[in-house]
Amino acid sequence: MSGPALRVLIVEDEAFIALELECLIEEAGHVPVGVAARSDEAIALARDLAPDVALVDVHLADGPTGVAVAQDLSGRPGLTVLFTTANAKRVPLDFAGAAGIISKPYSERVIRAALAYLAGCHHGGAPTDAPDGVVLAPLADRGGD
Amino acid sequence: MIGLDAPRQAEAGPAQATGLSNETRFADAFRASETPMIMTDPGRPDNPIVFANPAFCRVTGYEAHEVIGRNCRFLQGPDTDPAAIARVREAVAHGEPIQVDLLNYRKDGRPFWNAMSLTPVRDERGTVSSYFALLSDVTGTRQAERALMREKEFLAQDVEARNRALQSALDQQTALLHEVDHRVKNNLQVISSLVLLKARRAQDAACRVVLRSMADRIGALATVHRLLYTLDDVSRFDLRDFADDFAIELGAGIDPERISLTVEVEALAVPASMAAPLALLMHELAVNAVRHAFPGDRRGRIAITARREGDRLVLEVWDDGIGLPDAPANPEAFGRDLVGMLVRQLRGSLVVEDLAPGTRAHVVLPLGSGSSGSGSSGSGPGSGPGR
Repeated sequence: MSGPALRVLIVEDEAFIALELECLIEEAGHVPVGVAARSDEAIALARDLAPDVALVDVHLADGPTGVAVAQDLSGRPGLTVLFTTANAKRVPLDFAGAAGIISKPYSERVIRAALAYLAGCHHGGAPTDAPDGVVLAPLADRGGD
Repeated sequence: MIGLDAPRQAEAGPAQATGLSNETRFADAFRASETPMIMTDPGRPDNPIVFANPAFCRVTGYEAHEVIGRNCRFLQGPDTDPAAIARVREAVAHGEPIQVDLLNYRKDGRPFWNAMSLTPVRDERGTVSSYFALLSDVTGTRQAERALMREKEFLAQDVEARNRALQSALDQQTALLHEVDHRVKNNLQVISSLVLLKARRAQDAACRVVLRSMADRIGALATVHRLLYTLDDVSRFDLRDFADDFAIELGAGIDPERISLTVEVEALAVPASMAAPLALLMHELAVNAVRHAFPGDRRGRIAITARREGDRLVLEVWDDGIGLPDAPANPEAFGRDLVGMLVRQLRGSLVVEDLAPGTRAHVVLPLGSGSSGSGSSGSGPGSGPGR
């Protein structure tokens, strides 16, 4: 594992997917700080818990609000947003401030690799090659760090 | 022709019997013509009609004596195009000939389309001494033209309406496809999460292994669905894209120091209906090699190749491991059964060779359209192919 443990917020309305993500994040040596199923919860949790990373689905319990969530969360200093979605076409061209997209259905390996990559970035080291399975935002739009 | 001064007696009566001069003969010819003709005299106030032949009278419904001495404008009516009249006036003012289509009116008020040819006639000094007009009733032609035009407009509107309807149907189809695609992907993620959650909580190690291997199979299907509908042709599936992803997932689970993995798959668009069974097949064969060919610390190589040969796909999974196990009571026999079922479903053939050392699974699958129907799926569980 390169870099320190990341505090990860999960924005996902499917309970099983969220739960499995929590286990996976823990297993990968990071800290899942919370799960939000709705956009307002996501924004409140991001404010209260100050996570390093948010994994954001496009479709949430209150509709296709993940894009707005990404827009809001990526404006917070020190917070990197990654979309995890089965509907990458819904993500605007500028990625709404997100650093990248992980397409569903993803494998555990892709999540691990993405977190390792972000941990490397947070550590201040030169970013390695983009992890396989993650589509990075166009450079100019890349948020976080 | 200039001396055509005869119209004075206007009435289309019988020609005078006395002395058939040229002028009289001309006048008789004009009177006898089936083409409506009139002549006007610009030398007199308001350029009145001075001659009208019987054909003119038949077309317009006027008697000759009713028109002689009048300006032609009595033929005009409410729907006569003022621009056309202006063109005639212009031509007359400049002493130029003109051909024009005018909507004129008969005596009984019925309109008719008059294709008129108006020619100024000049005397020896070049002065316009009269105007000579040939008329032609082109109402039928005009109506046919207009009917054709209406038909064309109607057809154009019809085509446009159909195009709109088709586009809207296509848009709906596309939206539906995206929606279903999205749901399938999301559900695969849910299923995968469920199995992995259960695997994490399973106390029994063997149970965890089984659940993990099921999660891997679901993962192979998930990869297929992540890649389906990414080609422009949604009915095709790019086998190489799948193989690239699959190789990375497979490679992540093996120690590269111990086992080297090569995957050579041609860029190959296979029918989308083949995608899932083909992906599972590749997965089972490859995983079988990874799990069983290299027991203990044994080192070796695995090569997966897929290429097109004519209308068939040839898939090979080769390893230089221990060869075929003798014991059929392998707990992973399920994997072999799966391989057999998948090959049958794809209507292909499978040969597994013991290379001693090593194993080669050689699969030939028809790529032809309709050859990959799912109707034959797994009707004989447990009866894998002889291997």
